[in-house]
Amino acid sequence: MSMNLLPKSLRRSILADLEPVRPLPPAWMRTLQAAAVAAAGLALAIFIFKLSPRADLEQLPMWLSWGCTALQLGVGVLLLGMALREAVPGQGVPLGAVVLGLGTAVLMQILVGIATWMHSPGMPLVSGHGMSAGITCTTHDAAMALPALVVTLWLVFRALPLRPSIAGLLGGAGAAVTADALTHVLCPMSDLRHVLVWHTGALIGLMLIGWLAGKLWERKQYENG
Amino acid sequence: MGVDRKAEEERLIAFMIGYQKGKMDDFEGLYAALKQPLLRYLWTFVRNATVAEDLLQETFLQIHRARQTYTPPRPVRPWIYAITRHVALMHLRSGRRRKEMLANDQLPEVPVPPEMEKLADRATLHKMLSELPQPAQEVLMLHHLLGLSFLEVGQVLGIAAGTAKVRAHRALKTVRAQLEEQGGEA
Repeated sequence: MSMNLLPKSLRRSILADLEPVRPLPPAWMRTLQAAAVAAAGLALAIFIFKLSPRADLEQLPMWLSWGCTALQLGVGVLLLGMALREAVPGQGVPLGAVVLGLGTAVLMQILVGIATWMHSPGMPLVSGHGMSAGITCTTHDAAMALPALVVTLWLVFRALPLRPSIAGLLGGAGAAVTADALTHVLCPMSDLRHVLVWHTGALIGLMLIGWLAGKLWERKQYENG
Repeated sequence: MGVDRKAEEERLIAFMIGYQKGKMDDFEGLYAALKQPLLRYLWTFVRNATVAEDLLQETFLQIHRARQTYTPPRPVRPWIYAITRHVALMHLRSGRRRKEMLANDQLPEVPVPPEMEKLADRATLHKMLSELPQPAQEVLMLHHLLGLSFLEVGQVLGIAAGTAKVRAHRALKTVRAQLEEQGGEA
């Protein structure tokens, strides 16, 4: 038994800060919190930017318009949940599931864009205005995704992510997919040059922001620890 | 055996709940219950008893800082082993490792899985197991010696349970093949 006695220095450190703590809620509950903030963020962005559904929405089949919106929202929330699971030691998401989740997020966004373009050409891309339209859409994407991204990263970093960049990547993807779920029924353009450059670009950019936030947090922890 | 494991897990959960409520006795219980298995696990990374002892203290400090991230009544061991692994990997990433290896060339301490003991003498098995790649050694250690299920091993390592099982199977197959080869040569 004496072999298992606490070293004095460790005992001192523990006793110096032995206040009761409240256990972290389970991942599904934290996912619901993040999803609620994501929904509020989406509603707020739509209100602030006065966004309305695309004019040709009725030309699109239901499975492609609201069906894909529901599917993307589901995938987005799932990715947020994966990020929050990844933030707790011993609940890390297997790498295969991470790759599958991220691949699904990007592929689904591209496929929805292509399917929409095949069903309706939407508003034509006016020569010389491609960049301004793209910047506007990327701003909308970012504004809609930002609340979900911020709250997810906050929930991730107040736990103990052992692979913070992966948690950040998943959080960024989740926030971006929930935003894109609505963007594809709001953005009036179907032109693939616009969709693939600006909307897919925004998705990948938000994933990278999450990844970078994780890297920076990890570096800070490493320097402090 | 199964009942013992369940009782042990329930004991650890009770310690964690008490510890989260601020009870020092429960922290001490947790330390006493996990000190030896965690030291064995840390040895697979650092192969040095003194460094493993230091890392054990660092692990318990990290556990203390992150104690709110344990959610009862989830199994305690995957949570603790994942933190331990992180502390060990952070240590290996730092520049300290090289100096230790040069200063202290102890023989590697890779314990032998019980079902392998009959295959050859301990010294031979020690040598073969210590020559396995680190991920294979880690899976063998966690499953065969520390008694974690493959699901728990997967949770600790951030891999699927099936992947953990395949790694363990391949590692044992490699050792058996080497033993057969040696037997043939002899």
